[in-house]
Amino acid sequence: MIRKLAFACLPALLLAGCQDPASTNQGSSRSEIRIVGSSTVFPFAKKVSEEFVNFDPERRSPILESTGTGGGIELFCSGVGANTPDIVNASRRMKKNEFDRCITNGVEEIVEVIIGFDGIALAQSKNGPKINLSVAEFYTALAAEPFGKGPNTTRRWPDINPALPDTRINIFGPPSTSGTRDALEEIIMEKGCKTDPAVGALADSDKDKFEEICHTVRTDQGYTDAGENDNLIVQKLSTNPDAVGIFSYSYLADNAETVRGIPINGVEPSYATIESGQYPGARTLFIYIKKKHVDVIPGLREFLAEYLRGGEPDGYLTRIGLISSPAKMRSEMLERIKSLPTLDGAVLE
Amino acid sequence: MSPTSSPAPAGHPVAHKTDWMGAAMQKRIASRYASERRFKFMGLAAVTLSSLFLAFLLFVMVGNGAKGFITTEATLTVDMPAATGSISADQLTGPRLSATISSIDVRRIYDDAVEAQYGENGTRYFASTAWTALRSQLIANPDLLMGKADFWLPTSSDVDRAAKDRSTPEAEADYARLRQAGEVRQTFNWNFLTGSDGTDPARVGIWGALKGSLITIAVTLLLAFPVGVLAAVYLEEYATKNRLTDLIEVSINNLAAVPSIIFGLLGLAVFLQFFAMPRSAAIVGGLTLALMTMPVIVIASRNAIKAVPPSIREAAMGVGASPIQVVFHHVLPLAIPGIMTGTIIGMARALGETAPLLMIGMRAFTTTPPDSLTDPATVLPVQIFLWSDEVNRGFVEKTSAAIIVLLVFLLTMNAVAVYLRNRFETRW
Repeated sequence: MIRKLAFACLPALLLAGCQDPASTNQGSSRSEIRIVGSSTVFPFAKKVSEEFVNFDPERRSPILESTGTGGGIELFCSGVGANTPDIVNASRRMKKNEFDRCITNGVEEIVEVIIGFDGIALAQSKNGPKINLSVAEFYTALAAEPFGKGPNTTRRWPDINPALPDTRINIFGPPSTSGTRDALEEIIMEKGCKTDPAVGALADSDKDKFEEICHTVRTDQGYTDAGENDNLIVQKLSTNPDAVGIFSYSYLADNAETVRGIPINGVEPSYATIESGQYPGARTLFIYIKKKHVDVIPGLREFLAEYLRGGEPDGYLTRIGLISSPAKMRSEMLERIKSLPTLDGAVLE
Repeated sequence: MSPTSSPAPAGHPVAHKTDWMGAAMQKRIASRYASERRFKFMGLAAVTLSSLFLAFLLFVMVGNGAKGFITTEATLTVDMPAATGSISADQLTGPRLSATISSIDVRRIYDDAVEAQYGENGTRYFASTAWTALRSQLIANPDLLMGKADFWLPTSSDVDRAAKDRSTPEAEADYARLRQAGEVRQTFNWNFLTGSDGTDPARVGIWGALKGSLITIAVTLLLAFPVGVLAAVYLEEYATKNRLTDLIEVSINNLAAVPSIIFGLLGLAVFLQFFAMPRSAAIVGGLTLALMTMPVIVIASRNAIKAVPPSIREAAMGVGASPIQVVFHHVLPLAIPGIMTGTIIGMARALGETAPLLMIGMRAFTTTPPDSLTDPATVLPVQIFLWSDEVNRGFVEKTSAAIIVLLVFLLTMNAVAVYLRNRFETRW
């Protein structure tokens, strides 16, 4: 009988044994930095953590996980302690409701640092007729139902504005799984969509309807998914002078000999216009840090310094596509990672 | 009596003498042989087809992956004393060595040396982390600090691809220039076997993921094997047949057929959220995979135990063995080959599993291999998945090379298991 009991208890004992590492881990500290968040910022964070370890091989490698901005903030806001991430990478600002969730879970002191920018560029072949678009015109060409007034019937650019060159609307862009697509919908399309006050008002009254109108890209021949490979879009543009391509700004900078940027609202995409915030197709990349983890998790301060160092105009992050922030903002951020001011929820939307 | 000559009485079966030579019979025989041949041919075709697939897989993998084990290196001459100032020999002895090395700004020395030898844009020839290779060579052989020496450092991924195959026009021109000057060579990529994940394909390694796989699979084996075998022994030898044991049997069979992603969600809910275990840790991966593997082991073990003839048990009981002696001295030794087979199948599946591990965060990027059960880790299949997703073209051959490592690991594991099985097999 005792023997039978022993057999029955063995699995239970094993499971109980497994609890031990967790209970010792909780509360006590962790020796490496944990980072979660945006897939857009992921390659930058990877590079920074590699440099961070290379600088001093004695350091423990940070642990990065690409979870997407929303998923990352959820993990980040799940509490304070060794089992929660120290830093979340975000390709947009934290939202008010996310911040409130953080507060409810005891994550009260959050530090916000801007690491740089990421731009979405519209481009065309150098051989094509020059186009100059406003956000509203671009939105009208791209939306499935422009301003919620029935299906998109535009076929040629003059259907939108007679001043535009008389060529077929033929846009190559990222597929719906891509982060660039999210940025396209959230930055450019939303801006174009809000030029109609009636639709803009929907943003507060009926969020679902607003997103349906503003974030749905047409599926007819006007728009072609060109896959995740931005290089492919560049190639398609060079063989297709009438087409318009959408990709991350760094690709435009790399392929300046074959394609040129299309000005939006009269502003050409360039490092200068993105830095200054004039260009409508740029987004800010953030990282959020738990103040309570600083000086508890070893190396966190050094890691933040490394992050900002890589984002300098001639830093290694700008070489892989990050657009560094203006000098004034950089010095403010350097100050921020020293004094660690707490983010005020009131400034968030 | 001649049954062929006289007609048989009505109502009785007639025994006709078979006319083997008749045209109709010959046709029937030919058609039987033909169907035999067709069947044999189909079987052979099935075997050929599956071996062709395997051969194709191996051919493509080895073809692509073999290059991943080769690295291209270019030479760099560094005059250490000139760059560091004089270092006395006693600074390189024992405990003072690491202090000496860390006091040297290897990165600056590297940058200066590259500029002196290859011109202003010279760093484009080398991997972005080539200076860490220089540092590890210095640590391995501190005497190099005392004089002027040539170092072989990894080239950039583009030049590496130019050396092996095709690359960008600029990189191909760079490679041609290096080759003409005799400043480049290809060697075995030890770093691939000893290094960890990184951002530069020229410097990534598989050891981190391999170690993660070893730890994870060890946890899985240590949990799933004893629990699975004990469950099987209890159900077969001790449990009474009733509705409850029937229900358990059905549940175990169902559990073995549950898609692996479900186990990932279970692991996430139970181990991470309820027990608050660390994310991305090998122990959680091992536990999750153990849940997945256990039913397979239970089913295989039960079948193996069932196949042991009852006469063995009765004979053992007859000479006075206790039930536990019967199990451990007679039933288990005879059932062990079957149990091992089930375990091998289960373990091979666990080793190749990706989906449940993604759920519990074992896809984390980390550049140091795990040192303990709770360290964040990744495993080989997840590493392959992550690399296949990389934009940089240099990762293509690394992905195939990682697949080769996974296959070799799998084959080694199975070979050891088969050897053990044959060793412990008892014949009667």
